[in-house]
Amino acid sequence: MTEFLDLEFQDSVRMPWNVLPGTKSDAANCVIPISAIYTPLKPLPPTTPLLPYSPLRCRNCRSVINPFAIVDFSSVNKIWICSFCLQRNYFPPHYQSISDQNLPAELFPQYTTIEYETTATNEKAQVGSSNIFLFVVDTCVIEEELGFMKSALLQVLGMVPENCLIGLITFGTYIQVHELGFAQIPKVHVFKGSKEVTKDQVLEQMGFFAKRPRPTTGVIAGVRDGLSQESIARFLLPASNCEFVLNSILEELQKDPWPVPSDQRAARCTGTALSVAAHLLGVCVPGSGARILAFLGGPSTEGPGAIASKILSEPMRSHKDLDKDSAPHYHKAVKFYEELSKQLVHQGHVLDVFACALDQVGVAELKVAVEKTGGLVVLAESFGHSVFKESLRRVFQSGDHDLGLSSNGIFEISCSKDIKIQGVIGPCASLEKKGPLCSETVIGQGNTTAWKLCGLDKTTSLCLIFDIVKKESSDAIAQSANNQFYFQFLTYYQHGSGHMRLRATTLSRRWIAGPGSKEDLISGFDQEAAAAVMARQVSFKMENEAEFDPIRWLDKSLIHICSRFGEYQKDTPSSFTLSPRFSIFPQFMFNLRRSQFVQVFNNSPDETAYFRMILNRENVANSVVMIQPSMISYSFHSGPEPALLDVSSIAADRILLLDSYFTVVIFHGSTIAQWRKAGYHEQPEHQAFTQLLQAPRDDADAIIRERFPVPRLVICDQHGSQARFLLAKLNPSATYNSDIPAVPGGDILFTDDVSFEVFLDHLQRLAVQ
Amino acid sequence: MSITCRHVTRLYPICYTHLNAEQTSSSQAAAFDSIRFRLKPDRKTVGFLVTDWNLGIHSKQQSNNPRGGPRPPNAAPPGQQPPPFAGSRPRPPAPGVFQRGPAAPSGTPQTTLPPNVASTFTSPPSASQPPPSFTMRTPPPVALASSTGGPAVPPPPGAVPLTGPGARPRPFTSSPTSGLAMPPQMSTSGPVNNGPTAFSSWPTQGGPRFPPTMGGMQQPPIGPPQLPTSLSSGPSVQPPQMHPNFGNPPAGASPFTGQPVPPFSAPQQNIPPPPGSLPVSPPTQSMHHPSGSPYGMQTWPPQPGQVAPHPPIPGPMQQPRMYGMPPSPTPLPNQSMALSHTGQSKIDPNQIPRPIRSSSVIIHETRQGNQANPPPPATSDYIVKDTGNCSPRHMRCTINQIPCTVDVLSTSSMQLALLVQPLALPHPSEEPIQVVDFGESGPVRCSRCKGYINPFMKFIDQGRRFICNLCGFTDETPRDYHCNLGPDGRRRDADERPELCRGTVEFVATKEYMVREPMPAVFFFLVDVSMNAIQTGATAAACSAINQVIADLPEGPRTMVGIATFDSSIHFYNLKRALQQPLMLIVPDVQDVYTPLQSDIIVQLSECRQHLEVLLESIPTMFQNSRTTDSAFGAAIKAAFLAMKSSGGKLLVFQSVLPSIGIGSLSAREAEGRSNKSAGEKEAQKLLQAADKTLKTMAIEFAEYQVCVDLFLTTQTYVDIASISVVTRTTGGQVYYYYPFSALSDPAKLYNDLRWNVTRPQGFEAVMRVRCSQGIQVQEYFGNFCKRIPTDVDLPAEGSECAFQCALLYTTVYGQRRIRVSTLSLPCTTMLSNLFRSADLDTQFACVLRQVASEIPSAPLAQVREQATNVCINILHSYRKFCATASSSGQLILPEALKLLPLYTLALLKSSGLRADGRVDDRSFWINYVSPLSTPLAIPLVYPRMITIHDLDEKELDDSPIPPPVPLSSEDISDEGIYLLENGEDCLIFVGNSVSPDILQQFFGISSIEEIPNQFVLQQYDNPLSRKLNDVVNEIRRQRCSYLRLKLCRKGDSSGMTFFSYMVEDKTPSGLSYVEFLVHIHRQIQSKMA
Repeated sequence: MTEFLDLEFQDSVRMPWNVLPGTKSDAANCVIPISAIYTPLKPLPPTTPLLPYSPLRCRNCRSVINPFAIVDFSSVNKIWICSFCLQRNYFPPHYQSISDQNLPAELFPQYTTIEYETTATNEKAQVGSSNIFLFVVDTCVIEEELGFMKSALLQVLGMVPENCLIGLITFGTYIQVHELGFAQIPKVHVFKGSKEVTKDQVLEQMGFFAKRPRPTTGVIAGVRDGLSQESIARFLLPASNCEFVLNSILEELQKDPWPVPSDQRAARCTGTALSVAAHLLGVCVPGSGARILAFLGGPSTEGPGAIASKILSEPMRSHKDLDKDSAPHYHKAVKFYEELSKQLVHQGHVLDVFACALDQVGVAELKVAVEKTGGLVVLAESFGHSVFKESLRRVFQSGDHDLGLSSNGIFEISCSKDIKIQGVIGPCASLEKKGPLCSETVIGQGNTTAWKLCGLDKTTSLCLIFDIVKKESSDAIAQSANNQFYFQFLTYYQHGSGHMRLRATTLSRRWIAGPGSKEDLISGFDQEAAAAVMARQVSFKMENEAEFDPIRWLDKSLIHICSRFGEYQKDTPSSFTLSPRFSIFPQFMFNLRRSQFVQVFNNSPDETAYFRMILNRENVANSVVMIQPSMISYSFHSGPEPALLDVSSIAADRILLLDSYFTVVIFHGSTIAQWRKAGYHEQPEHQAFTQLLQAPRDDADAIIRERFPVPRLVICDQHGSQARFLLAKLNPSATYNSDIPAVPGGDILFTDDVSFEVFLDHLQRLAVQ
Repeated sequence: MSITCRHVTRLYPICYTHLNAEQTSSSQAAAFDSIRFRLKPDRKTVGFLVTDWNLGIHSKQQSNNPRGGPRPPNAAPPGQQPPPFAGSRPRPPAPGVFQRGPAAPSGTPQTTLPPNVASTFTSPPSASQPPPSFTMRTPPPVALASSTGGPAVPPPPGAVPLTGPGARPRPFTSSPTSGLAMPPQMSTSGPVNNGPTAFSSWPTQGGPRFPPTMGGMQQPPIGPPQLPTSLSSGPSVQPPQMHPNFGNPPAGASPFTGQPVPPFSAPQQNIPPPPGSLPVSPPTQSMHHPSGSPYGMQTWPPQPGQVAPHPPIPGPMQQPRMYGMPPSPTPLPNQSMALSHTGQSKIDPNQIPRPIRSSSVIIHETRQGNQANPPPPATSDYIVKDTGNCSPRHMRCTINQIPCTVDVLSTSSMQLALLVQPLALPHPSEEPIQVVDFGESGPVRCSRCKGYINPFMKFIDQGRRFICNLCGFTDETPRDYHCNLGPDGRRRDADERPELCRGTVEFVATKEYMVREPMPAVFFFLVDVSMNAIQTGATAAACSAINQVIADLPEGPRTMVGIATFDSSIHFYNLKRALQQPLMLIVPDVQDVYTPLQSDIIVQLSECRQHLEVLLESIPTMFQNSRTTDSAFGAAIKAAFLAMKSSGGKLLVFQSVLPSIGIGSLSAREAEGRSNKSAGEKEAQKLLQAADKTLKTMAIEFAEYQVCVDLFLTTQTYVDIASISVVTRTTGGQVYYYYPFSALSDPAKLYNDLRWNVTRPQGFEAVMRVRCSQGIQVQEYFGNFCKRIPTDVDLPAEGSECAFQCALLYTTVYGQRRIRVSTLSLPCTTMLSNLFRSADLDTQFACVLRQVASEIPSAPLAQVREQATNVCINILHSYRKFCATASSSGQLILPEALKLLPLYTLALLKSSGLRADGRVDDRSFWINYVSPLSTPLAIPLVYPRMITIHDLDEKELDDSPIPPPVPLSSEDISDEGIYLLENGEDCLIFVGNSVSPDILQQFFGISSIEEIPNQFVLQQYDNPLSRKLNDVVNEIRRQRCSYLRLKLCRKGDSSGMTFFSYMVEDKTPSGLSYVEFLVHIHRQIQSKMA
């Protein structure tokens, strides 16, 4: 495992197969696709320099020079040979001094991932030198929620860097665009929520041409294309200039005043509001990094993008409705948000959603817009909940735990010619740049070699899926000649500082073909990455393929993979063994089958969409936690130690810390709980107990501090109602109808789910057939 | 409104979103409506006619018409008029009074104009209708009463011996019949060629005066003198007297008022009797008696004794006068002479009829002696005592007697119309209208026609039942309303119950009259802040006016206000108190507007006063840098409407430019129109029609929700009033027009207009119904309102008096639901002469004005002008043909009551609405201004009052600070003088080129004529002249209920041109002079006769 982590440390990449099957048929046999989970902005090792110049690019394929390029120092005109297309390129004059001993950083073997920063060519550095935040705030919420939201926003406004531009839109039945730059009196532009507003209307109606004639032709947007800075500054102001105005507006923010009959939902025009926000940014700051932060307190019921009817007796769509296609608003809304996402992608702007309501707010419909723009999403029950408050704070936090928000990214892939790109599953949008590298099989955002990442941060991870197209070659000759595949990932983005950077990651992987390849393949198998890829794939398929049966698909894949890579004698289940490289994979699959990604029962479409969006943007380690939570046990008998994710881990004198990514559960065994209730930890003589109680808290805090969105912390006791957060994740090795009586102090689960042991039994049986 | 539905069948509900009291106010459009009636052909006549009286007076006496039974013998057979008349004459002689009567008749007067007698026609004529009618009114019912039938009573008045017809005095008294019938005499008196002169009835009076003047002729008038005295007997005479005024024609009244007598006689006289009579040469002389007299009447009243007799009353009215129109006009010699003149050849401009206004206050009892009392001229100052009929301020009829047959009416060529102004402002000295609360059960109403209880419902059967005077149905008296009858047949409690003794009462409406809680008083201000408005100072003026006005709004939880501004978008303001500052809410979508907030836009005044003040102060600066030239007027009012929809209320819009964007946007049609003008007038007149229906549709919706729109147009450009005024017209609002807007001189007027608009007595969510006696149906309504259900009325009833009842259900500003019921009961007549005698010129002219205004947008100008002229010609022709046959064809004979009709008609032809050269907007405004115009303001609008002011301190005026008016003729304008001319809306001060610098200094603080500013603000300097001028202006403002737009004019520039365009008696390139016009009329009549 550690070698994979090292690779990840260097290149931010995890691949299920680090030794690649060399031919198409081999690859097909591997079941798990050739793929990579790449985190473009993962912080580089501190030693990696930032190169203050533009990279050299291959004349032919535009890939960037890298340590795998073959450099010929000998010839007079120094030459490098592109590792992708074998094109010979001359170095430009300023590289003339290079030699074996004098290499530029990008040719150092350890700098397969390196960043260039190019200031000169970047005019945007002057314009919107920093981020732009447009707050879109729902006011159709009860007073209490509004109060929470206000205080959260007020707190956050104090944290916004001074040079960031800020705008504010509030909405309910109508949309109110606040003109922060108008000094005399608070001023808002009000749009009707029930009607779609076009960009032209925004231009016309918000007075962008009040002082100069409208250009008759051309795209009108931004300062460069016809708008005065002055007219833009009415809506988007540096934080330092509008703090006072903004504070007073927020303080006086009223609940949406339109009356809501008791049998109806509030008229909330989320769709139109977001659309107005998008237009406003599109008009004012196209191409600059800008984020729309939407704070939603309930379902959209008005105008385009409505997800529910106003009549309260008509329930909101459920998974069942979606399956049966009986959700009348769903498709219309999704279509609307798809359009919105196209617009945002085009403009390079990000949609972040903070959905805080007991009810669903339409995250399922909004998913497309959030995901394609690389937005953040936070789902909480209330604006008063720490999940929301802390997460929001994190967005603006600077320092150790900042999110490293960047924007306007363009991601490109080059690779060796025997590899094609099927697509990307992750928070990005295709730029529809087709080329010879595109596979005919498409998954996710495919059919392109370039993607837009409007918003990206340190943890944004893309799952890239490849296809091997190399035909079976006649012999091993070719193999010896060149058994490396090369990949290059280029990410061009606007760094939080406002500068444009290019990060280039170049990978080389050995491939292998033919009958003897199994051992090599096994040795290069990264089961965690494989689990993450499977999870993204199954989620994707569930959303996009009709009649898809995820359990069956997962089982088949697992069986297939086990029979391909397991050691066994045919038809003898007991002879079945798996290499350590594969050993936990079945367990990942077992837990994936039971996870929220696959088991949507009991979750709302919003929650499912939320979980999947997070899954799709997280790296392998976090994905694995989502699939298979980690558990640590604390007791007097030993130090903290990982515990089996099994009901048998529960003991009366233990504290368990379960991290399922979205929730962190601290579970006190019944004895511990009694002691705590008795107040022992407050007594000096029981300091050890105090420490025991405190240890999981500290660990949980550490987890929470690093994670975005901030997980929900549940502290519960054995047999308490909240304990369900833990129990639901455990392997049901002891249930109410199992034969083995529960261990004293242990627990049993009330479930009919099969336990892992049963699952494994079946797997062995089927794998050996 | 719902209520109305119940009676659907015969009512015509008219819904106003808003109704104000406007009094005469000038501009105010108050909701004043005129209603035209159609006589049903089958109408039977009522009884007979009575003898005539002289009427000069319209005023009091006349009215008395006979009511009921007594109608004279002649009932006129319907049918032809002529006959009637004929009949009539015979009629009962006037009561005693008339001595003259008799005489007159006999004498056939003519010629000699017996002073007293009203001449009326000679006997012969009598037969025919010719005789003018003057009826006299007998005075009080009294004795005279029936007076004998002496047939023709000669009206005293008519000096002339009228032939019989004329004056028949009618005994009102007793016999109620109305006297009207009297034919005026023809006046032609001898003098003139025509022999008979016109003194017509009253002429007498005239006579008197004349006498002097006239010299021979009339003088004799002696009568007059008598009049005074004799009153009773003399009656006829007297009336005439009044005339002295002559001058004033109709209105004249003045004299009377006071002391009747005196006046007459001597006094005035000098003045040429002009008024009425026109001096036309030839003929006659007329007499004119001042109509004013009527008023005077009051005085009369006092004079008891005579009273009764009086009838004669001022006969002023009617006398016909004839002008002989010589072929060519020639000036007559003196006025007085005029009469005499036979010569006809000349018309003396000094003698032709001109208005004279009396300044003293008249006391008018609406009924005297159980007879309707003809109202004083609308333009005079009078105090009404409601003695059964409603005040003429609330309702007045174009003819104070109702023709019994449709033929009589059509022969007269006059129209029968009622002008209704239910919330008219009372004179301060009048008693307030009494409020009657019937408790739960609501007011007593006829179960068939739903007419409200009124003094004319007749209780029978010991009070157990009552007969509806409108439909004739017999209803049971509700048990708790029962009361025994006294010996006189009236209920014993009649005098204690306002609804049984007052023409106008207010009933407290019960729940069933409400479809919802009475609406709060909502005032929503909408201010244009487009670049133009800001830069011309219009926005600042509007904001400052609003700011001052909110202090005048009633306090209390029922007063709610809201404000919005607009340019190419609409800006609302959240005035909720909790906010530290008002919040501006911009509605940018002007194609599909909405109100941005449900509440908080319209807030109780007490909660937002401070915010509002701060806001109003900052609005002009807030938009200071705005470069938005577009104006989304239509969208703005729509949005404001949406905000007000739930409550209804007043929407006050300040607009400065042509609506150019959004719903109901308009294009600058003016340029288009101008270019088309050469192609033909047809295109030009299209500009006076609304450009499209969008605004109309919107306005109908506004009215539906009780939103009334008032427009303040502070503009310097074309704003297409024709199109945008549709909104005000449909919603019962009003247009105020400040063009060209001046930031210096207009803000004061703007403030005053606004203040009056929001503080004058007014009502909301009103529904009005007019019911009338059987046989009369409403043909048309004019005015500012929204008519929901087209209807046809058919009212049942019968009786010798015709009754009209106007019931207005409305909400007061204080949130009470009230029904204001005004009842007017008028005598019926079959006598054509009576109709002429009892014609109410002011009211008729107001009607004509409205009709003309409504025609202008749809017909070519030439046609409208011709129609207006024809109205005049037809009436005079009818009179000439049927009531003054005896006179020679060379005479122009004018009925006394209508002697100013030609002058007003001429003035109308020259008014801005009928001039082709005016700006389109000015004409549209004029049309719009006229349509709801109240009667007292109608005349001044076309025939403004002009006074000299440079000599203000030399004059000693008794009651009124306003000196007597001078004729509107440039011959009367001297270069040394300063003149003030006002028409109720504009006030021009003309400074002659040779005015002494000293006077200039005193008035305007400037030393030379050159320094006259373009924009003028009247200031009070510390000198008597300036103080008096201010007094005068303030008095005019009070009278007109209008602040007036003051403008200084001087000869030689455009301001001078404007001023001279008001000189209606002058000859202009496009119009005849007064004398020429008379000649023209005369010729037309002659040709018709032929």
